[in-house]
Amino acid sequence: MNTRFTRRRIAALAFALIAAVLATPAIGATDVTDIGSLDQGALSALPQFQAANKSLSDYGANLQKQYVARARKASQAQQQKLAAEFQGRMAEKQRQLFAPLFGKAQAAIASVASSKNLTVVIDKRIVVFGGVDITGNVRDLLTGIGDPVPPQSTPGPSRVGYVDQATIDATPKVKSATDEFNKFRQDQDKATGDKLRAAKTDADRESIYRDYRKALDDKQNQVLKPVIDSTRGVIADVAKSKNLILVVDRGNIVFGGTDITKDVTDKLK
Amino acid sequence: MMRTAAVLAFVAAAGCSHAPATTAGSSSGSGAVGYVRMDELVQKHPLYEQLARYDRSIDSFDLSATAPQSARPDPNLAQRERALQQELHDAADRTTKLLDAKQQQYQQQESQAIAAALRGAGQAGPSAASIAGSVNTTAQAQRSSVSAQARRDLESLRANLARQNQAQVAAAQKALNDRADRTYRAKADELQSKESALSLKLASDDSAQRLALRTKLSSLALDDTAREDAQKQLTALDRKEADELAAQRNRDQQTLAALQSSLRTQVQHDLTAQVAAIQQRSIGALSTRQAQLAKQATAPVPGPVIQTMTINGKPQQQVNPNLPPALRARIEQLHNDYQKRFRDDAKTTIAGFEKTRADLSRRYAELHGIEAGSLRGAQAQIASLRQKRDDLYTQITAQIDREVKLIAQQRGISVVLTNVVAPAGGIDLTPDALKDIESLHQ
Repeated sequence: MNTRFTRRRIAALAFALIAAVLATPAIGATDVTDIGSLDQGALSALPQFQAANKSLSDYGANLQKQYVARARKASQAQQQKLAAEFQGRMAEKQRQLFAPLFGKAQAAIASVASSKNLTVVIDKRIVVFGGVDITGNVRDLLTGIGDPVPPQSTPGPSRVGYVDQATIDATPKVKSATDEFNKFRQDQDKATGDKLRAAKTDADRESIYRDYRKALDDKQNQVLKPVIDSTRGVIADVAKSKNLILVVDRGNIVFGGTDITKDVTDKLK
Repeated sequence: MMRTAAVLAFVAAAGCSHAPATTAGSSSGSGAVGYVRMDELVQKHPLYEQLARYDRSIDSFDLSATAPQSARPDPNLAQRERALQQELHDAADRTTKLLDAKQQQYQQQESQAIAAALRGAGQAGPSAASIAGSVNTTAQAQRSSVSAQARRDLESLRANLARQNQAQVAAAQKALNDRADRTYRAKADELQSKESALSLKLASDDSAQRLALRTKLSSLALDDTAREDAQKQLTALDRKEADELAAQRNRDQQTLAALQSSLRTQVQHDLTAQVAAIQQRSIGALSTRQAQLAKQATAPVPGPVIQTMTINGKPQQQVNPNLPPALRARIEQLHNDYQKRFRDDAKTTIAGFEKTRADLSRRYAELHGIEAGSLRGAQAQIASLRQKRDDLYTQITAQIDREVKLIAQQRGISVVLTNVVAPAGGIDLTPDALKDIESLHQ
């Protein structure tokens, strides 16, 4: 009797499990739960960030007046020196105002990510669908009483990688191609601007613009595309060797992720 | 039995997971992560052409930093300018003739006054007729000199006015054209945005019906009649959307044509008014100058200078030394008084001329101000275009996001990203999304 009951229960459980899985096919696949997303724009709208922005803006306006007053009596060389000095002062003020806020925000993000077992938090702008949106939790921590406490543990290894595009752009091959294209573009911009100003009809302007776009596209295909394709190939190879799923730009990573910039630049050299 | 159930459960679970083998395992879960190449999808969207148009417009503005002309120049402008110049010329002639007549009259009065003074002094030296004749000759020479100088002044003023007026008319024309152009483009952009919104709305409204029909058509079990019927419904749906959009476009084209016509009329009207105002100001300036010259003409011409002598190579006027000292002193006093009045009058005339010139300069600067305003308008237009472009891009990507979300859900993918630098193992949803986006064109 017990055996039959047990068999029936097992059969019923198995059936229920099968039915549940069949009824919700997405659940079976929704097992990537360690990718979070954050709307950074929403955080920048918080009062403390707004106040810091206002302070920086006022400070910048005041600094500008001081610069104009002093630069008026200065030579060109002195003006350059002065400009560097004032830029430094502005950067220092920015650091003073924002560093504590960023520190708190980072602690809040790390805390929420840790509590939800996330290995990476990505900027919401590049998330088309899915992921765990932690914007609300982070906002609550930042607007709550007391400072957020950073987690004790570091995030686990993530299968989402990232590269610092600026570092890759500075490698000799990429920089050379980019410089060549930019120079070409500047020349085209000037020549096309002159032609557009002299054009008499809308049809003329359309034709000039078409030629301009074609010249840029051709140059891009000739100079930039081979380098970009080759760089992406290297990034994909490194990513595969490290068992990563995707690689995004560092600017889109808010927290965690796997940095493969050095591996890529080493291969590009 | 237990083992069987467990195997069944595992098989069922495995069968429902569509994640490819390439992304399985490790700490990231099974790796059901997808990605799309957003740029490619945006380029296939039905509203991309509109987006590209915005991009082209912004690029053109950025490159040329000038607003294109839409309104045509006033065809009667040259004729109006000629008429204006003729009026100025006629006014100058009238002024010169009036000046001559006044000076003639003054000369006669002056001659009579000197003759009376000589008679009263009982002077036996040079006869009254002789002195009067001498005065007459000198006055004649001075009158000619003053008249020539006045004519030169008037000619100079007239030429200056003509140049200033031409520049003012050209600047006014440009400012009016720019204003009309901005109005036209703003309306065209507004209508285009509405057309885009309508297109999007129509596609969204019918998307459920379209999807149902396409799903029906993809069924292999569908018989020919039902298939044909579904196909007809799909075609009718497409035609209905296309017709609505075409009707809206036609209405918009008519609106734009009417606006263009109205703007041309308005530009023409405003230009005529501005040319008339400029002309009026010129006539006013010339009349003022004419009045000043007339006043100058009514003032005494140079006094009874009897002789013109050359001292150190320079011509100088002296009272006839043969006259009695008292009479000579009297004539000298009259002469000095005249010179002083002449200088004062000349100062007044110069001040009046300077005032007229300052007024013209101010009006010219105002017109330059209009041009600066026009430039600011162009910059505002660029900002407006950028805003519209961004709004449209947001609309397009929002629709793509919805399509991608549906695909992801159907394929059991948990996370979909875009702007991926390198896809090492994620699932590329771009081809599927492209099909859905392209179906929006149908």
